[in-house]
Amino acid sequence: MVEETRVYYQEELEKLEASGLGGLDLVSSSLDRTLEAVEHQDVELAQLVIADDDRIDGRYLEVHQSLIALLAMQSPVATDLRLISALLHVLKNVERMGDQCVNICKLIPLTGNQPPADEEMVRLILTMGKQARTLISQAKRAFEERDVAMAQDLVRQDDVVDNLNRECFALALEIGDDVDKREWAMTMLLAARAIERIGDNSVDIGEQVAFVVTGLFKEFEDASHPDA
Amino acid sequence: MTQDESRSETGRESREAAAERAAIAVRPEEFQRHASGTREKVFELKGVEVLYGGVSAVKDITLDVHRNDVTALIGPSGCGKSTLLRCLNRMNDLIPTAEVKGELLYHGENLYGPTVDPVQARKLIGMVFQKPNPFPKSIYDNVAFGPRILGEKDDLDAKVEHALRGAALWEEVKDRLEDNAFGLSGGQQQRLCIARCIAVQPDTILMDEPCSALDPISTGKIEDLMIELKEEFSIVIVTHNMQQAARVSDRTAFLMVELDADEENRWGRLVEYDETEKIFTNPSDRRTEDYVSGKVG
Repeated sequence: MVEETRVYYQEELEKLEASGLGGLDLVSSSLDRTLEAVEHQDVELAQLVIADDDRIDGRYLEVHQSLIALLAMQSPVATDLRLISALLHVLKNVERMGDQCVNICKLIPLTGNQPPADEEMVRLILTMGKQARTLISQAKRAFEERDVAMAQDLVRQDDVVDNLNRECFALALEIGDDVDKREWAMTMLLAARAIERIGDNSVDIGEQVAFVVTGLFKEFEDASHPDA
Repeated sequence: MTQDESRSETGRESREAAAERAAIAVRPEEFQRHASGTREKVFELKGVEVLYGGVSAVKDITLDVHRNDVTALIGPSGCGKSTLLRCLNRMNDLIPTAEVKGELLYHGENLYGPTVDPVQARKLIGMVFQKPNPFPKSIYDNVAFGPRILGEKDDLDAKVEHALRGAALWEEVKDRLEDNAFGLSGGQQQRLCIARCIAVQPDTILMDEPCSALDPISTGKIEDLMIELKEEFSIVIVTHNMQQAARVSDRTAFLMVELDADEENRWGRLVEYDETEKIFTNPSDRRTEDYVSGKVG
């Protein structure tokens, strides 16, 4: 029978992983409210999302500080070291995704209190947002379960987001000559772009899952060498 | 953290506010840890100096040891950390030329006061040494030794079991309590010495390099045990293993050697004393930083 030692350290590490990945739940709920604000042009709800981003930043700081302390005090090695390195990356992604929700929410007052200029574009953005939410949940689950196949599948899921983003772009090009309408479309393109980045951040988390499990870091998709 | 370049000044402020809130409010583990170590002081040292034959070994030590904390003393060889530890239960009394100056309070009372019985003090302030030193007796008799001497012979079996459980050794030895203690492994012998120490119900345990003669697995067990024991006792540990101090202690004191102008005399001096996390992530003194990062020492 192998007796476990350093149980307190192990417990602390498990707690920090749960707390760091819990940041993804905060992002999911932030994204939900962001999409609701987009759908209903709800400026107050958007303000709430912006204010609540402090909670995500607070989680980032809290877990980051504790991970640094664990590195300094417990000398983690091997899988534990990879896990801590990966969690530091994941935290950054969590914080970025929270900021993307804030970016979208800051755009909502700019779109005015008018009804949307193009219902189809709003529909596309909401669909993108829901897909991004799926990616966030899947990234979290893949990390928790150390499931590399599930992590790699994030690339496929992210392609859906990318395609919707291109459709948004095409719609914006065809929106016509009306200045207000064009401005609205440009603003909505920025929102689409922010959601697209959330998808990318989820894929980044997937890459960290593969690093924890295999010890090798490899980008699932290399944007600068797409054919390699 | 500044993803959005258009973020307003107020946006940055709220971020700082969040940082502050995070530092204050969202570290429950940290607060629990420090809540477990009450701010009640076990030892208060004020300008303590220890001399051997009139020559200072350590000088000007001022620090408080808190109840239910693990307090680590670290520093290079010859910095006086063991000397300091031995002051805390009057072990230096056994060295004829040793002399302790300054104020050393134990629960607010002068530990070196005329009415203090050193033997009684050592019962309350137990010590575990570098090399496991069981008596050449059975496992049972080792643990029962203290209570027997103190005349506490009621429920001796229960006391022995309690102490062995407290030292996380019971399960390994319960079926061979009458075996000679020398038959145990080094790590088990050290836990037996801890059991022997806690059998007389001390309130503080001093440990002088308790793991330096042990393999990593036994060391891990003793370190886990320390974290369990601090629920009930206060622990002061001397270690030359910085990582051990980092792993187990709540507060760390860093001592280093100081030389006089003509480099004839050397003594230990306290450089920094703070929460262990602070010492190992962001020490205040450059000398501490150089020592804990292995650049000197």
